[in-house]
Amino acid sequence: MQNRLRVRRRIVAATTVAATLALAGCGGNVGDQKSEDDASFPDRGITLLVGQDAGGSTDLTARAVADPADSDLKQTITVLNKPGANGALAAKELAGAKADGYTLMVFVGSLSYITPLAVPADEAVDVNDYEVVTGLSQDDYVLVASAKSGFKTVKDIVDAKKAIKYGTTGVGTGSHLSQALLFSQAKVDATAVPFDGGAPTLTAVMGGQVDVASIQLGEAQPQIKAGKIAPLVTFAEKRPSYMPDTPTAVEAGYDVPVQQSRAIVAPKGTPKDVVVRLRTAFQKAFANAEYKDFNTQRLLTPNEVDGPTVIDQWTAALKKYRDLTGQYKIDLSED
Amino acid sequence: MSPVLDGFAVVLEPVNLLYCLVGVLIGMLVGVLPGLGPAATIAILLPITLGIEPVTAIIMVAGIFYGAQYGGTVTSVLLRLPGEASSVVTVFDGHALARQGRAGTALGIAAIGSFIGGTLSVIALTLVAPVVAEFALDFGPPEYTLLALLGILLVATVSSGGKLKALIAAAIGLLLATVGRDGFTSTERFTFGSLSLADGLDFVPIAMGLFGLGEILYTLEERHRVVHAPTTVANVWPSRTDLRQSSGAIGRGGVLGFLLGILPGGGAVLASLAAYALEKRRSRHPERFGHGAVEGVAAPETANNAAATSSFIPLLSLGIPANATMAVIFGALLIQGITPGPQLVTEHPELFWGVVNSMYLGNILLLIMSIPLVGLFVRILRIRPSILAPITVLITLIGAYTVNNSVFDIGLVVFFGVIGYLMKKLGFDPGPLVLAFVLGSLLETALRRSLLMFDGDPGGFVTRPISGTLLVLFLAVALAPAVRTAWPNRKKPFDPSKETV
Repeated sequence: MQNRLRVRRRIVAATTVAATLALAGCGGNVGDQKSEDDASFPDRGITLLVGQDAGGSTDLTARAVADPADSDLKQTITVLNKPGANGALAAKELAGAKADGYTLMVFVGSLSYITPLAVPADEAVDVNDYEVVTGLSQDDYVLVASAKSGFKTVKDIVDAKKAIKYGTTGVGTGSHLSQALLFSQAKVDATAVPFDGGAPTLTAVMGGQVDVASIQLGEAQPQIKAGKIAPLVTFAEKRPSYMPDTPTAVEAGYDVPVQQSRAIVAPKGTPKDVVVRLRTAFQKAFANAEYKDFNTQRLLTPNEVDGPTVIDQWTAALKKYRDLTGQYKIDLSED
Repeated sequence: MSPVLDGFAVVLEPVNLLYCLVGVLIGMLVGVLPGLGPAATIAILLPITLGIEPVTAIIMVAGIFYGAQYGGTVTSVLLRLPGEASSVVTVFDGHALARQGRAGTALGIAAIGSFIGGTLSVIALTLVAPVVAEFALDFGPPEYTLLALLGILLVATVSSGGKLKALIAAAIGLLLATVGRDGFTSTERFTFGSLSLADGLDFVPIAMGLFGLGEILYTLEERHRVVHAPTTVANVWPSRTDLRQSSGAIGRGGVLGFLLGILPGGGAVLASLAAYALEKRRSRHPERFGHGAVEGVAAPETANNAAATSSFIPLLSLGIPANATMAVIFGALLIQGITPGPQLVTEHPELFWGVVNSMYLGNILLLIMSIPLVGLFVRILRIRPSILAPITVLITLIGAYTVNNSVFDIGLVVFFGVIGYLMKKLGFDPGPLVLAFVLGSLLETALRRSLLMFDGDPGGFVTRPISGTLLVLFLAVALAPAVRTAWPNRKKPFDPSKETV
C-alpha cells in the first residue's frame, strides 16, 4: 500500500515537473531549466532496485534503510523488486539506467565475487562497472550439524573418516563455496546437496536429511538456541558478536572466510556530488535507532564503509576465491 | 487449556478484532487481484506493522494470508484466472458452473468449504500442532519425489478431456519445467542466453496465458458463430442438494488439506489436486467432473484453505517457514523482536494462541463477508463480453507484471495466451499442462537431491519407511487401471480397495 502511494506521489511529482517545464517553454523563457543544478538533488523520488524477491533478507534490508534515508533526502525512495538470476537481471537494468542518482540498487556481494565462479564469463557481473555509494552490512554463515550426526566440531567430522552429505542454499552461493572449500582443505569426502534457499536447507539439516549445512546466522540462530542443531564454525573474518562462543573456520585451521555482503550502487558515471549527497543520507540512516535494531534482529554486522573500500573488499574476495578454488580444484558449476 | 483460553481473551481485544478484520479484507482483495500475492503484500506492509503490538501485527498478517485464499476463488470461477497453483483445479468445475449461470453456487460452496476447511484445520492445529510438526521434518527429498510422482499421476485423471490429450499436455508441462538455470550444476537450459529465463518460467504468466487469455481469444472467435448466451446469472446460493452433495467432499478435502499443508513446499497444490482426484474417483458419475460438479469446487477449495492454515504449524512450532509467505511472516516476527522457533509456544504463549485463535474469528469474518460479496461478484458476469474481455486482459497483464515487475512476463502471457487458444481449439485442456509444470520442478529437484543423498542408488527409496509406503501407494494407483482391465466385471467398477489416493 505504502509502496503504491509512493509510486503515485512520484507520478504526481513527475507530472508537476513536466508541467512546470512546459509552462516555462510557453513563456518563451529560453533559460536552460535543466541545468546541472546538483545542489537541488534530489528534486524527485528515487527508485531503489532489489534483485531478490520481496520479503527476503536483501529486500528487508533495502526497505529498512530506505525509510530513514527518505527523511534526510526529503524525497521518497521506492523499493522496486526485479528478481532474477541472483540479482544479475536487476544489475543489468541498473547498468542501462540514466546515471543521475535517481536509480540505485542494493547489490549483493556474492553476485560480484561468488557467482562469477559458477556461471559463464559473459554472464558474470563486475562491481567495477558500477559506482558504489556505500556499504551496508554483512551476513555471516555458520556451519551447523544435525543432532543425528552427533558432530560438535569440524574435528569430529574429520575424525569420523566417513563420507558426508552437506546441504547448501543453492549452487554457487556462499553456503556452497564455504563448505566446498572447508571440506577440500580438511580432506573430507563430502557431497553437496543443493536446496532452494535457507529455509529448506535448515529443514533438511534439522530432519537429518543431510549431515551438515552452511546457513546464514539469522536463520540458524533460533534452532541453535533450541538445541536442534549444533554450530561447528562460522565463516566470518572474526567471531561475530552474535555468536561469541563459536570459533571461526580460520581459528579451526581452515582458510575459508566467506560472507554475504550488501552495498548500495549507482550506474557508472553518476556525478560525484550526487554520490556524496546520497552517501550522507545513508550515513544518517545508519545512525537511526530503528535501522540499528533491524541489524541486531537479523544478526547483520554493519559494514558501512565508503564505495572504494567496498570495491577493494569485493575484488580481494573474488581473487581469493579464484585462487582457492583453483588450488583445490573446486568447480562450483559442477558437483 | 488455560493458555488457549487466554488466547481468546487476546483476540477479543477491540484492537485485535479490528486488525483481524483489516487483514482478512486486504487478503481477500489481494486474492481477487491475480499476480500480487500475499507474500509481496505483507512485505510491503511490514513497515506499518512496526508501530503495532506483535500479536496484533501477526494477527493482521495471518489474516492477509488466509484471506487471500478466499479471494483467489473468485477469479478462478468467474474469469477462469487461477492466481495460484492451488486453485488451478477449481477452474475446471468452477468455471463450468459459472457458464451454466451457477457462479453463485460455485462461489457459495467455495466459501462454505473454505470456512469449514479453515476451521477444521485450526481445531487440529490447536490440538496436535506440536505432535505433527515433527512429521514435516521426516519428509526429505525422497518422500517429495514420490509425492510429486503421485501428483503427476493424478494430473492425468483430473482432466475433463481425453486421457491421451491430457498426457500430451502434461508432458509439455514437464518440459517447460526444465527451462532455466539448472539448480545443481548452474548449466543453462533452454534460456537462449536470456537472463530473464535464468530462473525458469513463472507459474503466473503460464496459467494466466493458457487459461485467461486463451479463453478470451477463443470466445472472440466463437462470437462469430453462436451467441453463447450468458445464461441467466441468478444469484443462487447453494441449494440443499448442492450442500448434501458436497458435504463428503468438504470433509475429505479438509483432512487431506490439513495433512499435506504441513509439508513445506508444494503442500497446498498437492492437497487441492488430491482432493479433486479423490472425489472424482469416488463419484458414481465421474463424467460430471469438469462439466460443473459442485464437489469439484468444494473439495479443492476446502483442501487449499485447510492447507493454508496448517502451513502455520511448521512456522509456529518449529520456526521453519513452509512457503514464501511464511518466510515473510518469519521476518515480521523478527522485526517485532520475537524469534520464531521451537520455544515460541512456551516463551510467548499469548502470541501463539492469540494468532491461532484469531483464525477462528478470521474465518467467520470471511464467511460473513463472502455472502454479500458473492452477489456482487456474480454481477461481473452480467457485463457484456465486449467490455468484460478487455478488462480481463488488462487485469491479466497487470497481474503478470506485478509478480516480478517484469515486462518480459507480459510477453510470456501473450505467448501462452496464443498457445492456450490453440490448445482449446484442438481440444486440449490446459489444466494438466499447468499442474505438471508445477509438479515437474518439484519432481526433478527432489529426485536429484535424493540420488545425491543415496550416492546414486535408487534402492534408497524402498528402505526409508515413509518413501517406501508412498512407493507402494504409487504403484497401486498406477497399476489399478491395468488390473481392472485384466479382470473385467469381477466386481463393480468401483472397488473400495483402490480408492486410496
